[in-house]
Amino acid sequence: MFSIPLILSAKLAFCTMMLIPILAFPPAYFLAFGSCRGKSILDALITLPMVIPPTVLGFGLLMLMTPSGAVGGAWQTMTGSRLIFSFSGILFASLIFNLPFAVQPLRASFEKLDKRLLESAAVLGLSPWQTFYRVILPNSISGIAASSILVFAHSLGEFGVILMVGGSIPGRTQVASIAIYEAVEAMRFDDALYMSATLVPVCFFFLVILNAINRRQQS
Amino acid sequence: MKRLITLCLALCTFVPIQARSADLMIAQAANFMPAMQEIIPAFEKETGLTVQATYTSTGKLYGQIINGAPFDVFLAADALRPEKLYTQQLAAKPFTYAKGRVVLWTRNKNLCSKTWQHALSSHSVAHIAIANPETASYGTVTKAMLQKLNLWEKTKSKLAVGQSISQAFQYVATGAADAGFCAYSYMFTPQARQGCVIHVPEAEPVLQKGCILSNAPHPNAAEKFIQFLASPTVAAIKRSYGYQ
Repeated sequence: MFSIPLILSAKLAFCTMMLIPILAFPPAYFLAFGSCRGKSILDALITLPMVIPPTVLGFGLLMLMTPSGAVGGAWQTMTGSRLIFSFSGILFASLIFNLPFAVQPLRASFEKLDKRLLESAAVLGLSPWQTFYRVILPNSISGIAASSILVFAHSLGEFGVILMVGGSIPGRTQVASIAIYEAVEAMRFDDALYMSATLVPVCFFFLVILNAINRRQQS
Repeated sequence: MKRLITLCLALCTFVPIQARSADLMIAQAANFMPAMQEIIPAFEKETGLTVQATYTSTGKLYGQIINGAPFDVFLAADALRPEKLYTQQLAAKPFTYAKGRVVLWTRNKNLCSKTWQHALSSHSVAHIAIANPETASYGTVTKAMLQKLNLWEKTKSKLAVGQSISQAFQYVATGAADAGFCAYSYMFTPQARQGCVIHVPEAEPVLQKGCILSNAPHPNAAEKFIQFLASPTVAAIKRSYGYQ
């Protein structure tokens, strides 16, 4: 029984990792290369989910994701199904929650790029899009990897936000962290132990890889 | 540097924590919260003692108590857990303090005239809130009833699980769930007026027991509070929240 929440957590982490570049690349690019007055405000806005309590974020997302909320309403018109208490719903929450964890490493690796490379690209007549695709991306692989692993590991451990918007539905929104919490509360300590014992080495493994990548990036 | 560290440590020791600890600590099952929020001020006014209550599911409170949480009184939403504490000699003999009911609450006006079974199977109902059957007594009672009527398997996929009966209520109040199995007592709160109550007579009444804990830090205040629970003032408050 305890494998279903673990698989669901892995699925959520994987989907978050695959989708987050779409959300994270534009702001990371802008924060690294852009120069306008809105930059520090955008920076603060994106970092916000990292510092506000998960309960505050969860409450805000709950209000947004109900059928009468802005996001939940739009989702229902588009897909015909509810966003709240669904896998798509916790995925949406997870994307918002992980945005700062994806943007910061990306931004750092963009900023570390050799400016001469970008200048050469411009001199050779590459459009900004081509420069991004053919110069910036290939030179930021380790930053992208670091950001992906951080997001994956962080999604595995997500708790507070999902507790607020998930509804703990087995197989759909009952991820490992929630299942462990419920197992402990119901004093099913064996289940909690099995799930925790699986989660800890996995997270450890990803952090070791992350450190290896960061070291390589520095040298 | 060394001086700085010493200074910081000294500051940590001397900065007093402002919150004054209460004269009585109550572990209260969440369903009784609306009534309790009237009972506590009445008790404080009469005795001059300050009371602090923690509201969550019975199962959670039970877990905290057997792990040594410093409560004086445990007011559960079932008979089972206070009896368990009593047999483990962690509490004095339990007493019944309330009898509650499970109802279905919805903010969807189209469902108001339906029976709860019809409301459950209605197409406009995608999510039904329920309290965690493992830890919250109102959830346990609801699940047992649905199983008895062979409705559990059918409704399982629609159920959104709240960690206590108050989270189940909150799911409906925010519009996240279309309907929810809630405690009847919540139907007397201002928020509940935005929706309607569908009675669920098939659900067993929830016999709620309480007990004074053996390791109570304030046994005298606890004793006073238990006496107060039997007073006509409390009986009137309980009645006004639908308890029998």
